[in-house]
Amino acid sequence: MPEDALRIENLVKRYPTGVEALRGVSLDIAPGELFALLGPNGAGKSTLIHCTTGLAQPTSGEIHVFGHDAIAHYGEARQAVGLAPQELNLDWFLTVEETLDYHAGYFGMPKRERRERTEELLETFSLTEKADERTRTLSGGMKRRLILARAMMHRPRLLILDEPTAGVDVELRLELWHYVQRINQEGTTILLTTHYLEEAEQLCDRIAFINDGQIVGEGTSSELAARYGVDNLEDAYLALVGRNELSRSKIEVAS
Amino acid sequence: MSAAQIRFATLWRREVNRFMKIKKQTLGAPLLETFLYISVFGAALGTRIKQLHGIDYVVFVIPGLIMMSLSINSFTNNSSSILQQKFQGAIQDQLSSPASPLELLLAFTFGGFMRGLIVSGLTFIVASFLVDLPVDHILVLIPSLFLVGFFFSQLGVLTGVRAEQFDDVAFVQTFVLTPLIFLGGVFYSATLLPQPFETLTHFNPIYYMINLVRYGFVGFSEVSVPLSLLALTAATAALFAVNLRLFSRGYKLRA
Repeated sequence: MPEDALRIENLVKRYPTGVEALRGVSLDIAPGELFALLGPNGAGKSTLIHCTTGLAQPTSGEIHVFGHDAIAHYGEARQAVGLAPQELNLDWFLTVEETLDYHAGYFGMPKRERRERTEELLETFSLTEKADERTRTLSGGMKRRLILARAMMHRPRLLILDEPTAGVDVELRLELWHYVQRINQEGTTILLTTHYLEEAEQLCDRIAFINDGQIVGEGTSSELAARYGVDNLEDAYLALVGRNELSRSKIEVAS
Repeated sequence: MSAAQIRFATLWRREVNRFMKIKKQTLGAPLLETFLYISVFGAALGTRIKQLHGIDYVVFVIPGLIMMSLSINSFTNNSSSILQQKFQGAIQDQLSSPASPLELLLAFTFGGFMRGLIVSGLTFIVASFLVDLPVDHILVLIPSLFLVGFFFSQLGVLTGVRAEQFDDVAFVQTFVLTPLIFLGGVFYSATLLPQPFETLTHFNPIYYMINLVRYGFVGFSEVSVPLSLLALTAATAALFAVNLRLFSRGYKLRA
């Protein structure tokens, strides 16, 4: 039986301030799966991602990426993960091309391979003409493309997309959807967090709800709706956050 | 090259690339500053103070200026580079890579060291054109410069990691380093000072560094060279150990 792409067991993260952002989270994502993690702001989505990628240190619990311990022996685990964070955290001093080249270097990719992969991803994300421009001169959409390209640079087997379509226009959002589906079909496992429920519904095999640092529901879109006794994922989400009165079924349609 | 070597080379290259992209500020300005010091203290003051301890005043001053440019540039590079990357979030790209705390620390260290070395090397070249600058004890000079550069690179790393705003870096440089350097005997001999200032100077660690470098160049020191070398080695090693521990714990780097 193949190792899970991501296996999280009883993960707890308590910040020095005393805030417990994760309270015993357990989660399994199978290889090749496209998995969505949904929850309100402050639910613990980003903390879970940060613990998985080494940006936060778990208080207790275990994280394994393709069987590699992501805490004690992080090297192999991090090699397998690509992160496209929510923030546009690009280095202002670097050009677009350097951003990709340096990232691949941090992951130990040899020069020739870096060059070929950079060209390939610049082309894929329509960034070729911007290759020599500094990142700070890019538009928001271009920065978002670059962040996704950077995450893909070292050919990760598990790609983590933390709200990748936040603040992007419709065209780019659909472009990203197509790309995400394509690389998933090519074998990359994807963990996606988003506030757009239709995005999770359209793209993902399974969905988990996280609230107040705990996984409170997991399954397909229809399984989650059934669990909350509603018709669709959005109403299930509203039930989760205790805002059923906001359901679209209760909005009167203008005549 | 192994993956670890590629990682380290890339991390280091990023640091060098950063200061080379703004070389007017990172190399040009410090060089001009040093040139002005030589002009003012050497040419103007040197006409009044002919010699100190049998050495031409301008020649007496230049080793201290070389040490000053090495230390300040090593420090400034690392403190500002780390803080800027923390500020932009760009450091997450390195922290989520398989790079070990040791690789990250060494790359930052040698980045700052390289800038200090370039500025102090250029200062030496310019000074050699202006005055007849001897190198009496190269076997003391090289390890002394290496240790001074390494020490201040480490101090820059420590300051950058601890800093939460640019004011924190400016405070250390303006209110701690600059006074210690200026009162450490760059421009004068401590033996000329009245008590208690002469004795107080012996509590300034930079006084010993200046004397080591001065001894390497002109063969004159007011302190024990072997003891100073030993103390500087111990201080540098201790600072390195502290930084390595901070990087391993992710102090103010990982949540």
